[in-house]
Amino acid sequence: MTFKTRLMAAATALMTLPLMASADTIAIITPSHDNPFFKAEADGAAAKAEELGYETMVLVHDDDANKQSELFDSAIAAGVVAIILDNAGADASVAAVQKAKDADIPSFLIDREITETGVAVSQIVSNNYQGAQLGAEEFVALMGEEGKYAELVGKESDTNAGIRSQGYHDVIDQYPELEMVAQQTANWSQTEAFTVMESMLQANPDIKGVISGNDTMAMGAWAALEAAGRTDVIVVGFDGSNDVRDSILAGGIKATVLQPAYAQAQMAVMQADQFLKTGSTGLDEKQLMDCVLVNGDNAGQLETFALQ
Amino acid sequence: MNRALLLALAASTALGLAGCKIVYDDDKDETAIPAGPEGDDARNEARLEETFEPQLLPYVRDKAVEVSDLRSQVAADIEAAGTAHAQRGSGTGAAWNFPVSGSGVVVEAKLDTRARTLGLDTDADGTADTTLQLGPVIKGTALRDGVPFYNFDDFRDQIEYAKLSRALNDRISAAITLPEGDPLGSTVSFLGIAPLRSATEALVVTPVEVTFQP
Repeated sequence: MTFKTRLMAAATALMTLPLMASADTIAIITPSHDNPFFKAEADGAAAKAEELGYETMVLVHDDDANKQSELFDSAIAAGVVAIILDNAGADASVAAVQKAKDADIPSFLIDREITETGVAVSQIVSNNYQGAQLGAEEFVALMGEEGKYAELVGKESDTNAGIRSQGYHDVIDQYPELEMVAQQTANWSQTEAFTVMESMLQANPDIKGVISGNDTMAMGAWAALEAAGRTDVIVVGFDGSNDVRDSILAGGIKATVLQPAYAQAQMAVMQADQFLKTGSTGLDEKQLMDCVLVNGDNAGQLETFALQ
Repeated sequence: MNRALLLALAASTALGLAGCKIVYDDDKDETAIPAGPEGDDARNEARLEETFEPQLLPYVRDKAVEVSDLRSQVAADIEAAGTAHAQRGSGTGAAWNFPVSGSGVVVEAKLDTRARTLGLDTDADGTADTTLQLGPVIKGTALRDGVPFYNFDDFRDQIEYAKLSRALNDRISAAITLPEGDPLGSTVSFLGIAPLRSATEALVVTPVEVTFQP
């Protein structure tokens, strides 16, 4: 069974249930589950699919468009009825999704957009810009609308890094007494953020706040601030991870912004189900999902990228 | 050739080249807006011109529900009230955006911030029940989401979509002037849009018209 071998090779991980789609199978393809955010997506989609009576094929593309293309070939060959995708590149993914469409397999995208419409059935995307504005509004209020701050930016190649930074500045730059004294990437990485924060602090000891493009970098920055005895510094993150929730509850990091990853993945599966049964989702292709501010008031309700 | 002449030649060549380039660009296309992010502002400016006065203001005036009426309808059934009067923002969990009008007495004023607000008492019980955003920083996307003619599908991406909202908010905030002196106790009438996710959420109005009565 050659395609089976190929499938095994292509999908280095996380295959649940059959390779040959005996019952109706939905493929769930995301970036690596090393980041709990993507794991939450895959878990949410799989749980909903199983609840609706589908079998699932869970695959990871590791942000590699070539690998993603191979995974699509495998899923198509396996005869899946639909594909749930958090894609590996806005431009590069169009061809893969088109390939599935040509094979009459509808794709439902989550988290990240692709650059064309009319190829996927749904694109359900977190409104990162709106979320960043929420985080920035909270940051501005915590800062009392004045003082020096630093920004940790995400990985340059990820569009969401730029979107969040722009969203932050759209709000913060309207406050002339807030002064950005440092802005640097820490590539979404906790360890890198620790080092970057250390040097930022050295160069700008009078810093009052840090706004971070995601939660892992916020955690790294907070660790560095703690180590330097600077727990007075206001830190705001983005994602709504359990780590930052715990920090907020312990009086550390002040706020984050929840991307409803779990719910978003479930919504995509429900739309796939609707589409398979009726031929239409009844909804626009591109759907934005609002993010939610998480601070001391509601952090206790946060669990695995969902507010309970 | 002396040095001065050389310099003059060099300068004229440079100018000539620069001139050519400008003419070339003009020839190529005078009006086309670039498709990428660099065209966002121009596209949104065009959208604003097409929609703000011709469509948005008439829409809000026409659809506005009086604030006390809105409160009772929302309390009874927010879904029904929303379906009847409001637009829902793009995306799940998004608020209903209600066009609303009314007037009230200023009982709170937060003016020592870039995001200035007034707390209005619209039902004469002495407490603030409606918050009016006055800018210059206007929060949220009520104006964009409260009308039916800005569809996310028509935008390149969420950044262009967000920029439209910001342009709408800036337009409003530039138009608002506060009277001199303490506004407390004065009567203010307003027309605007208020986003509501639940019947218990506080009413925060992004105005399109604010009038201070003497």
